[in-house]
Amino acid sequence: MKRGLLLVGHGSHLNPNSSAPVYQHAEEIRRRGVFDDVRTAFWKEEPALGRAFDGWDADDITVVPVFIATGYFTEQVVPRELGLSGPLSRVGGRTVRYTGAIGAHPRLADVIELRAREADAGPDAALAILGHGTPRNPNSERNIYLQAERVAARGAFREVTTVFLDQEPNMRDVLRYTRAETVVIVPLFVADGWHVDETIPEELDLEGPETVRNGRRIRYAAAVGTHPSLADVILQAAEEALAWG
Amino acid sequence: MGMSVLEAIAARRPFRLGEVEAEPDGAEGWVVRGPDGGEPRQVEAEGSAIRAAVRFDALGRYRPLSGARGMPGGWFVRCRSREELEQVLETVYPLALVHIRQHSEGTLRVVGLDAVLRRQTGRYEVAAELSEEGRRLAVASVCGACVRVPVWAGRLPKEPESIPCPEPCSVFVSFCREAAIWEREGAVPGRDDPSVPFADFEAEGNALRNAYLRARAAAPAGEQR
Repeated sequence: MKRGLLLVGHGSHLNPNSSAPVYQHAEEIRRRGVFDDVRTAFWKEEPALGRAFDGWDADDITVVPVFIATGYFTEQVVPRELGLSGPLSRVGGRTVRYTGAIGAHPRLADVIELRAREADAGPDAALAILGHGTPRNPNSERNIYLQAERVAARGAFREVTTVFLDQEPNMRDVLRYTRAETVVIVPLFVADGWHVDETIPEELDLEGPETVRNGRRIRYAAAVGTHPSLADVILQAAEEALAWG
Repeated sequence: MGMSVLEAIAARRPFRLGEVEAEPDGAEGWVVRGPDGGEPRQVEAEGSAIRAAVRFDALGRYRPLSGARGMPGGWFVRCRSREELEQVLETVYPLALVHIRQHSEGTLRVVGLDAVLRRQTGRYEVAAELSEEGRRLAVASVCGACVRVPVWAGRLPKEPESIPCPEPCSVFVSFCREAAIWEREGAVPGRDDPSVPFADFEAEGNALRNAYLRARAAAPAGEQR
């Protein structure tokens, strides 16, 4: 039996960085040789989701959506475009396993902690996990809170809080929501794209990796989704799906 | 029609695919070249390096549509094997070889525009409101700027280097969304701005937007909505 892994991303018509982490993790997993075939597909780039299974000779394909939020894309768009009927589907004579958004996986908390430590977060620091969020979809925030709870439960940082780009509690008030002298903001985004590289630093008036404001230090980490160890989380999610039978 | 791309690969003969050319190199290798232009520079046969070479046009604008005409030139890739050649071509034109093979075998699954627009939800639901004439002009504007041949629109790949396109892509659907809104709002063409990205259809300086709106303005009145 040939086993395949399909990493699904959003992609973008305007920002080339959007799909970069999906390619990056696919290349790493391909290099490890765990699956016979490792491919990518995107909502807004190529190959399109609707053609994602064209030309495969794998009998058993595991699909991992590299999305942070469990919501519109992972629950409606991706299953519709791929022709899935649930976590375990038959599509064109193949078994297709669908893991759900990587943003919900328990091991993502490891990657968040790694990103925080890279930005010099120590036991006395406050960690602010920054999600996109949107008032239009209450599901959008769910995995951000879930991961914040997991990281907080480890007790590695003095405080762990959650802020958002597009909803309350808003990232602009991050110093109000924390007390520690050092606040490390970790963007729980897939890509170092438009938001992580441009809109967030601009809106927070950040001066680089570290900004001193009112005698407190704000450190800004890279996106969680670009961390090399996300490939381990993807592989674990895929291995768990293979155990479904 | 000459030798197909798949036949040329099997026979180790030079061939064109879209805007790239490939020729045998040594006993088993191949060289893939982008269009003429600029100082020749070798690119590693790795996905990230190839994407960096082909995903930006000569003005540095992002090219989200792999088949968009005007691929930057001057680059070449040396492939050590047929397998590496196919991987390089897959990176440059995703699924092109698969769709050429399926088209030649008569197994290509073709999905038309109606079906694609009908299944859109959320932001893209409005695309289904685009008139028949708008759809025809969108094919002329968007697909006319792409090397893939829209089999889904009834076109036939006639040249050996042609790549059959089995289904409207996300760029096309995105264009239909904007075109439906332009119809509703009576948009008029603006001046092309070369700094506007290829698929930023909401920007007044977008070249495809303006080509479409100019063609629409020139169409007989009875064909406009």
